[in-house]
Amino acid sequence: MTQFITRRLAGLGLAAALAAGSISLAHAQTTLRVFTGGQQRPDVMRKILDVYQQRNPNVKAEVEIGGATSEQQQQYLNTVLASKDSALDLILIDVIRPAQWAAAQWAEPLDAYLGAEKDAVMARYLPAYRAANIVGGKVIALPYFADAQFLYYRKDLLEKHGVQPPKTWDELKAASMKITSAEGQPNLRGFETAGAPIEGTVCTYLVPMWGAGEDLLKDGKLNLSGDVAKKPFQLWADLKAANVTPPNLAEIPTDRIRQNFQAGNLLFGMTWGYVWNRSQNDADSTVKGKVGVVPLPGFTADKASTCIGGWQIAVSSFSKNKAEAVKLARFLSSPEVSKMQAIAASHLPVFAEVYNDTEVLAANPWFAQALPVVQAAKARPISARYTEVSEIIRTNMNAFLAGTKTGDQALTDMQTRLSTIFR
Amino acid sequence: MSAIRHQLTPLEKSERKLGFFMLAPAFLLLFAVVVYPIAELIRNSFHFNHLAQPWMGNPFIGFENYARALGDDRFHEAVWHTVLYILVTVPGAVVVGLGLALLANKPFTIKWPVRLGLLLPWALPLVFAGLIFRWFFEYNQGIANAILRGLGMQPWNWLTDPNLAFFAICLAIIWKSSSFVALVLLAGLQTIPKSFYEAAEVDGASKWQQFIEITLPMLRPAIFVALIFRTITAIQTFDIPYAMTNGGPGNSTETLAMYIHKTSVDFLDMGYGSALAVLMFIVSAIITSGYLKYTRRDPGRH
Repeated sequence: MTQFITRRLAGLGLAAALAAGSISLAHAQTTLRVFTGGQQRPDVMRKILDVYQQRNPNVKAEVEIGGATSEQQQQYLNTVLASKDSALDLILIDVIRPAQWAAAQWAEPLDAYLGAEKDAVMARYLPAYRAANIVGGKVIALPYFADAQFLYYRKDLLEKHGVQPPKTWDELKAASMKITSAEGQPNLRGFETAGAPIEGTVCTYLVPMWGAGEDLLKDGKLNLSGDVAKKPFQLWADLKAANVTPPNLAEIPTDRIRQNFQAGNLLFGMTWGYVWNRSQNDADSTVKGKVGVVPLPGFTADKASTCIGGWQIAVSSFSKNKAEAVKLARFLSSPEVSKMQAIAASHLPVFAEVYNDTEVLAANPWFAQALPVVQAAKARPISARYTEVSEIIRTNMNAFLAGTKTGDQALTDMQTRLSTIFR
Repeated sequence: MSAIRHQLTPLEKSERKLGFFMLAPAFLLLFAVVVYPIAELIRNSFHFNHLAQPWMGNPFIGFENYARALGDDRFHEAVWHTVLYILVTVPGAVVVGLGLALLANKPFTIKWPVRLGLLLPWALPLVFAGLIFRWFFEYNQGIANAILRGLGMQPWNWLTDPNLAFFAICLAIIWKSSSFVALVLLAGLQTIPKSFYEAAEVDGASKWQQFIEITLPMLRPAIFVALIFRTITAIQTFDIPYAMTNGGPGNSTETLAMYIHKTSVDFLDMGYGSALAVLMFIVSAIITSGYLKYTRRDPGRH
């Protein structure tokens, strides 16, 4: 009923504006430009914006599509925002960015717009996303969708060879060796994770470290001197030696894992939520109905860990339509949109209750187990200089995976360079 | 000079004014796009300016950014990689370009296929060339490994082995830049009178002797022009390694221009990035002036 009234009012407003002549018509129409990444399903964003436009005829929302990887997008955004360009109104940012965006004053703090509702609005999100988007007490962005790394596996092949989905890395190694040698296809590889010098490769280092019970920072101090810091190198070296990971792991970015998996060339993939929908619906997918998703393995079955991902909607500090932009941001960060994304793109919801929605579960049966994984997922280090932190970890990890540095060398180099940031 | 100078008539004065007036747009444009940015770059290089840390302000820090560069291993490595690219791709492009130019200079009845083949790599954007070669050398789908597999060999890690990646990148750069060299040399070749070769033919000189004694010496000025331009672009090598390996594995194929880009655009460390850019500018200026001195001392006569 209220919706009907607002729609009527908006209609009346538009009619009044039309009557008042062309000058006020130009004012009545606000154009908002939304930046999103090529891998964050811009097509779904477009559909969501169409719904918003229908309900708000005074707003026209355009989509600008950025690079495929998080750091490519940020590179472009760095140039736009460092020059205080007002071309973008809303920007989809990776969960690792709010601290940097707050420090650089690129995101409009939303506290004043949320007003008295602030605490109630933020309390509805999953705690990890509430924490990630509040920097120094200020709301920097609103969560759009949640994410975490999961283990994707070929259900058909595991069943064929009587193997249970692995709960530990050792089980994964054994399962992979057993199935790939029994299948005997040269194209079928055991396991892939991100190894190219891209953002995802930071998780390739951190996930096993977390799994072994430590974190990169301990009380704000760098924590790389112990044996646990070597664990990730040992794990990936072990899987490489057993030919479970392919020899070109160091050139594999996030989306290549999905492509290889969909082409039927991959048994296990450590990757994000969006892959489910693509592998089940893409026209070129050869693995429809043959995919299972479980939490990532750990060194022991009870101590698995995963990297938290997800994307946030920030309102640019340089936008000329901040009030309208905040309204759209709140819509994009609503349970309604969370559900739309879950069904159309298998984007994990940022509200706990959406995981239990029957339509959502029908589209993504594995979401039933996904909520505890997202709730337990760990965050990458928070820093205003995160782009540097990330670059140090991913280039060293990449050099190690390519075999140009030993684990010890990579660790020492990482430590030397990170210690200039975390003093 | 002043003895010759006479009192300017009002007409001459106003013409002089008009002259300055008409020069002004060009001067202002040059000032805006060349002088001002360079001055700003140099000013920036003496300041702390990190956009991710705006609360630190932009204090003047003297030569601190330069001192940091001297102690920065990654900067040394980037310089070393850039030098290697210059040493391999400049002579490489000139040799390949010379071959292409000689081929294009042949009296084919249909000239356009060769000339199109010459122009196409040159007209292609650098980053396209990088992406194309990246797919050539990609591990699973790449044509390089398809050939190796066809020969019954194991595939190679073209882009994740530092030496192979360096080789692959050099190949892409030479392919891309040799056509520019070839165009310059082709222009040079066409200025050599046919009669020289006819005379040499009469004297009984072989084709090889004609090439060494006539073509190469006559082509010297053109080769120098090509060398200067190719070296300057090689110092700035960025697009092709950026598209092919993004500096990887690790940072083993990272050039100076890529490190500057990373420092300023990715890390937003404008102060340090500016200092690195000034250093690159100095290196570039030294090499270019060296070339110019050499060509001036020897104006291409033999």
